[in-house]
Parts: sequence; C-alpha cells; structure tokens
Amino acid sequence: MVAAVLAIVRPAHAEDDKPELQRMRFVERGDDLTVSTLPPGGIGKLFDAHAYEALSTGIPSSVVIRIQITPRDSNDPVAEQLIQRSVVYDVWDEIYTLRLEQPDGSRTIKVKYRAEALKWLTAIDDLPVARLAVLPVEQVFVLKMVVELNPVSRETLAEVRRWLSQGNGGGLDRGGAFFGSFVSVFYNPKIADADRVLRIRSQPFYRAPP
Amino acid sequence: MRGRLMFALGALVALGAVRPAFAGQPAPPADPAAPAPAPAPGDAAAPQAPDPAPPAPSSPDDDALDDVAAVPRGDPDAPLHEDNEFGPLILIERIDITGNTATQTEIILRALPLGPGDVLHSSDRRLREARFKVLALGFFRDVSLTIHKGSQRGQVVIEVHVIERGTLVLNRLWFGTTSVSPWWVGSDIGERNLFGLGIAVGGGFIYARQATQDIPGGRDQYAAELRLADPSVLGTRWGASWAATLVHGSEPYRVSGDPGDTTPGSQRAFPYRRLGVRIGATYDLSALTRLSMGLRAEGIDATPPVAPIRQLPGGPAIAVDLHLDPGASRVVTASFGFDRDTRPDPILPHAGGHLVASAELGGTLLGGSYDFATIFGRYEHYWPVHGERHALAIKLSGGVVVGDAPRFDRIHIADVDRMLTPRALGLVLSTSAPLAILGTRADKPTYGDLGGSATVEYAFALFRGSGKQRVYGGDVFIGAGLWGLAEHADLRARDTGVFASLPIDIYADAGLRLDTDIGVFELTIANALGRLR
Repeated sequence: MVAAVLAIVRPAHAEDDKPELQRMRFVERGDDLTVSTLPPGGIGKLFDAHAYEALSTGIPSSVVIRIQITPRDSNDPVAEQLIQRSVVYDVWDEIYTLRLEQPDGSRTIKVKYRAEALKWLTAIDDLPVARLAVLPVEQVFVLKMVVELNPVSRETLAEVRRWLSQGNGGGLDRGGAFFGSFVSVFYNPKIADADRVLRIRSQPFYRAPP
Repeated sequence: MRGRLMFALGALVALGAVRPAFAGQPAPPADPAAPAPAPAPGDAAAPQAPDPAPPAPSSPDDDALDDVAAVPRGDPDAPLHEDNEFGPLILIERIDITGNTATQTEIILRALPLGPGDVLHSSDRRLREARFKVLALGFFRDVSLTIHKGSQRGQVVIEVHVIERGTLVLNRLWFGTTSVSPWWVGSDIGERNLFGLGIAVGGGFIYARQATQDIPGGRDQYAAELRLADPSVLGTRWGASWAATLVHGSEPYRVSGDPGDTTPGSQRAFPYRRLGVRIGATYDLSALTRLSMGLRAEGIDATPPVAPIRQLPGGPAIAVDLHLDPGASRVVTASFGFDRDTRPDPILPHAGGHLVASAELGGTLLGGSYDFATIFGRYEHYWPVHGERHALAIKLSGGVVVGDAPRFDRIHIADVDRMLTPRALGLVLSTSAPLAILGTRADKPTYGDLGGSATVEYAFALFRGSGKQRVYGGDVFIGAGLWGLAEHADLRARDTGVFASLPIDIYADAGLRLDTDIGVFELTIANALGRLR
C-alpha cells in the first residue's frame, strides 16, 4: 500500500508544483521598475482551448496575478503587486468588456475579438512592479509570479465540499462521516482553487550602478 | 465604420503591432528617455548587461526554482469587483438545464442563486457563483454555464449543463478482532440522490461474533441502521432527517481483576436490545453554518444482573452501577445542535475551523424513563505555517452528562481515547484498558459523566495533485493529546495523591491521509490499534 502511494506521489508532485523559469525584461522607468515577459514566455498558456472557448460563454472570467520581488536567496518580498483582470462577453453586442485593475488604478475597455480579450488578459508588458527605492543597486533579486485563472474563494471551496462533513443523518454513531473508519469510498470530484495556476520565476536580476 | 475600426485594431493587436498598455503606462520601446537599460544579467537581449562582481547567474537554478512555490497567495478571499460590477445589464428570460438524466431539473434550479426575471450585470458575482452552488449539491462531476441570446434584445437564456456522477457512498467499513470479539464485520453505505430527488438514503449493518467462553453472559451482537435525509426541503434552508436503529447487543462489565485483566471470568456481560427512531430538522443559517434540532424515542429491553458487584484486587467488593433500568425502559429526548465548518478542504484541512456543539435533554416529562441532559462540543482549527505545505491544528472535544443518563448515552472511554476500539452503531467491541502512559489513575471508568480530549496535530502536505493521477492529495500527520474521562463521584473524593488520582492520560497518533477520486483513506497507528486490541 505504501509503495503504491509513493508511486502516485512522485508524478503528482512533479505535475503540479514545479515553477517555470521564464526570461523577462526589466526596465527602470522613472521611479519604477517595470517588467515584460518575453517570447516564448508569458502567461498565455493559462488559457487552454477550453478556457479560451469559455471567454465567449457570457460568464465572467478572471485572471489574478500575484507578483513578488524577493532577494535571490530569500522568500521575504521587498515588493508585491496584486493585479486582477476580468472579462465578460456581451452576447447581444458581441463585444468583450474587460476590467483591468492594478495598484495605479483600474480601467474598463471593450474589444471586438476574443483574441484581443485574451491579449489584454495575459499581457505582461512594461508592468510596474516595484519602486526603485526598494531595490538597492547591485543586489540580486528574482521576480516570482503566481497567476490564477478564475480563482475560487476559500468560502466557496468550503461550501462545495461541505456535504462531505455533514455526517450521515443522525443515527446512533457519533463522529465524523469519514476518518472514523479505515476508508470511505465514493465518487469524489474536487474543484481546484482555480481553473489553472501558473507559477513563474524570472531569471535573477539586479540594478546596475549609475 | 466602428466595426471596421475595431476589426483593424483587433488585427493589429492580434499581430502584435500594438501592445496593450495600461493607463499612464507608456509603451516601453517608445520611451527614449528611459535610463538604465534592463539589468538582466546573462540575458543576451539586454543591452549593456553589466558584468559586475556580484554573481548574476543566467542559467536556471533548479534548487532556487522551488522558491516560487512558496509565494503566498495573498488573501484568496478578496472579493473581485463585488461592488463594482461591469458589463451590460441583462434580464434573465429563462434558465435551461441540460445533461441531467437522473437528477430532477427542479433540484438544480432551486440551487441556483438567480432565476428568471432577475436583472443583473453580466459580471454579477451570482453568475460566477452559480456553478459552485450547483456543484455544492454533491451530485455532479462538473457544471458549466453559458449565456445565449433571449427573445428580445437585452434578454438572455442561461444554459446550465451538468455532468452527473455516481452518488453511492461507502461511508464506513467495520472490521477487526479483539479478545472480546474474535471478529466483526460491517459497513455503512448511502445513496445521496435517491431517484434524482436530492434525498439521501443510507444504512449500516454490523455483526460481531462474541467470545462467549471468556465472558459469561455474552452473545453475538448485531446492529442495523436506516437513514433518510433531505438537506433542503423544497429548496428552502430547512432540511429534514429520519433514522431508525436496532441494536442487539451484550454489554460487558468488569467483576474482578485489574483494568487490563482479560482472563476468563474477570468480566460478565448482560444482553440488551435497543430500538430507536430519531427525527430531525436542520436550518442553514449560512452556507457554512447549520442549526439542527431533533427528537429521539428509543425503547431499551435489558436484563442486567440484579446486584452486580466487582471484587477489587486484594480488597473489598463494590457495587457496580450499570446505569440501566432492568426490563423495558424508554429514552425520549429533544436535542439542539450547531455546526459551523469553514475548512476549505474538510478531508486534508490546512486552514479554517470546525465547531460542533449539541445539547440533548431527556426526561420523564417527555415520556422517557431517564432524566438527564448531555452537552457535547468539538472544536478544531487549522493554521497554515511555512506557506501552505505545513499546518498546525488544535482539536478540542468534550462533553458532560448530567442526571440519570442511560448507559448508552454516557461518554464511553473510546469516545475520548483514539487508541481504543470505537463503538460501532452503539456496539461495544472491546474491553481493553487504555494504555497507561502517564502513571495516573490506573482504573479509569469505561463510562463517564465528564470527558474530553485536547490534541495538537501537525500535518505536512506530502503532495497535491490535480486529480489527473486519480489522487488529489496526501498528508502525513502526527498528533498527540491529553484525554480524560471521569464519573462525577470520582471528582468528589480521592484516596491517593492528586496526580495519581487524575483520570487522564495521553495518546498519540500518526499516519497518512489520502484524498482520491474514489474516496478518502486513512492509515494510522490509532486506527490499527482500534482494530486489534
């Protein structure tokens, strides 16, 4: 049994947790550091064919981008950004309305084509990510990015799986519906906390001395 | 004209000729004043890439890549545009349900947070949540929504497409062997969506062979239970449940020897039969909080010995209170409960909490034979530590029984000590004494009025999967705690030191929990001990 579990464990871990190294372009603009992803990188792969088709269903889709800049050998961020982008399709006017929200403000735009909407949702192009003041010259940093498509709140996750912990209807037996036993077997679908998650890390970078 | 312009813009964007830029965010190549070109060490595309003393590796650092996984997700509960909807206003003309072959359409419609006639922005959170409200029924593998044009401009038809799944559940498997019961076997199964009506039906049966040569008066035991529940009556917040239980058992009690003595003759047993019905109602205060109330009527037919005694080792004989009226008696109770579960994942929890509290009142005024009250509570909370791979949990549970409660409503020692064989459908399957680890009171009661446990548990996320491998995740956990069980008489007087008289001890448990698409599995030390002692 243990061997079977371990056999499952390794591929599952590799499949889901491995971050992707992407080369990015960092530029100092005024007081800010901006970042752009470079081909063939980017976050476009967040959308597979199914997710891309879903943009036209009329149901809103959201992309949440969480960015951290940390010293190369540390997990303590010196700068963080939260960016949210949403899109909804108007079935009557046949246009896509996007809401782009980031720390320097939000804006709403409308585009005609799904490909345009995808471009706006996934563009990382000269995006301000940190004040230069927090990035000492010649210190090496990395940018870490977690991108989620249609993230689900913890409350919703709890609600969806609540039926699992509701007991078995009030008989004599006390205790939970499961784990009072060796095993509980049922068809057990599970929604993820997002439709898709990308974990990306940039190459190390540093500010050159003036 | 506007369409052509949009098409031209779209084509340009698609070709990459125009790059989207945020408000106030200039397109990078057009800014000749931009100083300090991209310091990207090792990046051939970066002009003026300096070559200073500080190391600036350009090759991927595999070890360092793991750091990315540790990026906190921030606040995942942060609302997205909750008060800032955008997109066109739409009027829901109709909702079409497709894909359901077993589940009644009405059940799905009731679960939706919107309905025909509603006017909302197309970015309304109810549209985003609708999928999860239907998934929360627990009847579907997947749910998808699509909006179609309605009969008039501005009106829409929402199509909800569901993919049904099997809703048969194996809740429990009972099996094991002890000195009292050479073998027992049983299971509890349920169907959560009977005839597609959203009604849950289930039942369990267990048979336990009794070692009658070791315990005079013992007999083979069996118990059965049948349950019926509607978690949402007519789509309201109210739920209803019904359960009937039959127990044909024999209850062991000690007549001589030390607590751990299992030699023949040290215990006796008496037969009993219980037949009970419980009806209940629930009310969902919120998606995560539920109130419950219930009534229980139970008939007990027992033939306990007239004056049971226990011969203490090297000492006098004392009377044993079996807490049961001889012959036929009745238990009639009313109960109230509260349940709040905020754990995003109740199977492999790393965050959130679960609070359960219940009170039950039984009395002759209700037509029963026993005047008593019980209060039970359980609280557990999980904190993620070091990112989301590790979690610490505190689990507290306890109860108090007041009055002349029947034996079966008292706290059994296996209710508080996880390293003992738990009762199954009310049957006692083992008389093993708890492990004496602390050196406290050796002769702890089998049934008590006051009991509980406090546990600290550490869990490590061994892996998480997307389900492609049929496995969602696995946790290794280790926990230890303190448990105690006492009769109120024990708390009034003692004939030894304080520590030696305390009816408490410790327990530990460790093991593996697996969440798979065919159910949940737990391999733990305590679970193994509970099947073998």
